[in-house]
Amino acid sequence: MLSFDYIKCTGLSEAVDILAKEEQAYPYAGGTDLMVGMRGGKFAPKKLVDVKDLPELNVFEESDQGIIIGAAITLNQIACDDSIVKNIPILAEGSHSVGGYTIRNRATLAGNICNASPAADTAAPLYTLEALINIVGPDGNRSLPVEEFFTGPGQTVLKKGELVQSIVIPKPFPAGKGVYSKASRTGSVDLSTVGVAVQNWGKHVKIAVGAVAATPVRAFSVEKAINEKGEKSSAEAAKLVHNDIAPITDIRGSREYRYHMVEVLVRRGLEQTMGV
Amino acid sequence: MSNKITIKFTVNGDSEEREAVVGETLLKFIRDELNLTGTKSGCEIGECGACTVLLDGKPVNSCLVLAVELDGKDLLTIEGLSKNGELDRLQQAFIDHAAFQCGYCTPGMIMAARSLLERNPNPNDEEINKALSGNLCRCGAYQEIRDAVKDSAKK
Repeated sequence: MLSFDYIKCTGLSEAVDILAKEEQAYPYAGGTDLMVGMRGGKFAPKKLVDVKDLPELNVFEESDQGIIIGAAITLNQIACDDSIVKNIPILAEGSHSVGGYTIRNRATLAGNICNASPAADTAAPLYTLEALINIVGPDGNRSLPVEEFFTGPGQTVLKKGELVQSIVIPKPFPAGKGVYSKASRTGSVDLSTVGVAVQNWGKHVKIAVGAVAATPVRAFSVEKAINEKGEKSSAEAAKLVHNDIAPITDIRGSREYRYHMVEVLVRRGLEQTMGV
Repeated sequence: MSNKITIKFTVNGDSEEREAVVGETLLKFIRDELNLTGTKSGCEIGECGACTVLLDGKPVNSCLVLAVELDGKDLLTIEGLSKNGELDRLQQAFIDHAAFQCGYCTPGMIMAARSLLERNPNPNDEEINKALSGNLCRCGAYQEIRDAVKDSAKK
């Protein structure tokens, strides 16, 4: 059996204090990654700090700045939210791609990015939406673009005692259509072999790809060809994605397969969103 | 010495107060402490859905929930569906359609399907497929399971 102290915090400052001072203290929200990781020996917490009921982390609202998604908001809440489905469907699709319905009742958006898998299904959509990550810690609050959050597989900029408080999808929302599509070994529940987010912003496109490098990456070569050079062929533009990625071979797919599938999914994404 | 916390909750309609060992999963607590062995242990990493129960009405993988989190919550397991010795309509539909071979996945399937029918009383094939995508049937009775869920929805 797992052995640790379980602490249900009543205030965010209390949680930050414990996480900052105690050795091997982990924040616990949905637990879908942490429980599996603990059992597999990846994490060995001495203290588990349950933050899922903290009011500060349960904020889920639309303001003038954008949509604020607290760290305890589950992926099902996001995938089923009217404003998100209407205004930023790419995030609903990414959220819906994680696990099955039962997993998404527990798993959170913040947890998906803090676990920092290069294959995280919500990361690529967040890149194309220019999401901001609000972090709270012992030295106060800070905020940074999602593209600066990941530092490697399972690694983020979070320092000891820090946790993600919320994720903000800033306004204005994209004017055009966005799609997230993934290739995986089964048609139902699986991690992505590759995941591609293509978001039309009206006058330009943003593209991000997961599971093809140490962190999710933007497909800058493809974006440049379309946004700056006026490339009209989605097939020609999609080929350029090979310049932006460095996939590896693992149990979910070979390097060569990933190169191929990313090109296919970028082409389809462009066809669906840009009509090029 | 194991670290225990007293928790209060309702299970299948009954109020309970028990001690839960910190670090123990809800799945183990349900099976070993509450002696409700209808909930099955499969992969224990949230991939197979055999341990699905409804927590405050929402389906969760009980292998990925801590027992201490049950405090203040309402738990429904497969044992809570039948009333006065009569199976509920979803259970009966699974029998009518022979929607199982070994039966190991059945409690999880039924709990996940029950939640689907509460959200969407008249689901189509695709909606059933999606809602049950986190529940694996190694015998491959998926067709019959889908038929049972659809049939139950009609009644």
